[in-house]
Amino acid sequence: MAAAMELRCWGGDWGLPSVHTESLIVLAYTKFSGAEVTVSPIDWTWKTLTATVPELLCGNSAVQEPAQILNFLRKQRFNADYELTAREGADTMAYIALLEEKLRPALLHTFWVDAENYANLTRPWFASRSPFPLNFLVPSCQANTALSRILLTKGEAPLHRITEVEGKIYSDAKECLNLLSYRLGTANYFFGNSPTSLDAFVFGFVAPLHKASLPSSPLQSHLRQLDNLTRFCDSILAVYFSSDHPYG
Amino acid sequence: MSLAADAFVSQLAAAEPWPENATLYQPLKEDQILLSDCASSLAVQAYLRMCGLPVEVVYRANAEYMSPSGKIPFIHVGNQVVSELGPIVQFTKAKGHSLSDGLDDVQRAEMKAYMELVNNMLLTAELYIQWCDDATAAEISRPRYSSPYSWPLSNILSYQKQWEVRRKMNAIGWGGKTLEQVYEDVSQCCQALSQRLGTQPYFFNKQATELDALVFGHLFTILTTRLTSAELAERIKSYSNLLSFCRRIEQTYFDDKSS
Repeated sequence: MAAAMELRCWGGDWGLPSVHTESLIVLAYTKFSGAEVTVSPIDWTWKTLTATVPELLCGNSAVQEPAQILNFLRKQRFNADYELTAREGADTMAYIALLEEKLRPALLHTFWVDAENYANLTRPWFASRSPFPLNFLVPSCQANTALSRILLTKGEAPLHRITEVEGKIYSDAKECLNLLSYRLGTANYFFGNSPTSLDAFVFGFVAPLHKASLPSSPLQSHLRQLDNLTRFCDSILAVYFSSDHPYG
Repeated sequence: MSLAADAFVSQLAAAEPWPENATLYQPLKEDQILLSDCASSLAVQAYLRMCGLPVEVVYRANAEYMSPSGKIPFIHVGNQVVSELGPIVQFTKAKGHSLSDGLDDVQRAEMKAYMELVNNMLLTAELYIQWCDDATAAEISRPRYSSPYSWPLSNILSYQKQWEVRRKMNAIGWGGKTLEQVYEDVSQCCQALSQRLGTQPYFFNKQATELDALVFGHLFTILTTRLTSAELAERIKSYSNLLSFCRRIEQTYFDDKSS
């Protein structure tokens, strides 16, 4: 049980421990549940192209994908959801599905498909964190994956043009942020006084949008109007990721 | 549809009351329709019945191609065509019929979240089982999907659809899942729905909402459709409150329908 655990993820910037949504989710959950993990960022290694991030290495086993990693941590008795009722556990699943369906396409679009943001922020950041010659490949690979994911899930066949879905995905994302804001209300966390896996997921999705200095983003301006969500991100950063322990 | 077109349609929709001759189009019931389409269509029919809006169901082999978004089902009301449950709910709301008006903001957030859970898990699992599982695809999905067409068009269309669905599954990360994992996901989804429902008659206590229609559409179709293996139906049957929920909605809203 005390086997050393190592987490491979993208590095941090903009005041966040990691700029990558899935990595942030896992990092936040490890903090909430008190799991000790050594964080090894994959920046400047060849793993930027080959590895699936985030990845948890424990002994001989490697676990990928945030949901699987969280399950693995729970089995290792690092459980931040211990005090949830069955109904709250069901709500967690539902809200995570809402985030995946409504918010993720717009976040992918903001960071990877929107020309201004991609050229000025995302591509330089990821290119500067990848070794030569991967700095030419990594950002464009990820951008292509993002675009095809948006078109396949939201595009209406047979037209498959990004401009037609843009309006819809952004309005869905704004509605999703509003719904999260209503659900959070004035509380510190989504369930009670201690953070749970849903808080980790919401933090992972919302924090990059809140902190990145995006040249053009109506979605970010919309988020800035939702005070309780920005306060939620800032308080998690202050409590769990304060500057003297950026990774743990 | 772009946002401007959406707003325009809503305005047009609000102008006229619900006509008597509204029609809902879906593929042929006996031979062609697949599990996922049947579930979506039943969800829309349940929702319209819950609103008390009359609609006639019409079966057409090319319903998928007639639909404005390529998805089943779609309704033809007056001179407008709207497809999929989400837009249809908005359309009926513009006409003044809504089931979720009595909910407050937090409840509405919960309702939308649970609807996304059903779409994310149940619908994706249905699509996976139909098209990514080789046995089901070969025995049931491809023959049924292409039944109205003659060779070689039937082969081309069914393989094209299969390729499209598999691409989508890969894009969202379901491509690498095994059938067992998919069944497990369905179980977890049903467990979440069962816990949310509890002992209440509907998900939001006394009143039926679009969430009830959506859940009913999917669960009822899974329970009553014959697939290569009965595993999926068995997983749902282990939650007795979901079973009685389906029975209750069927008796309340579909009792005049010959089964």
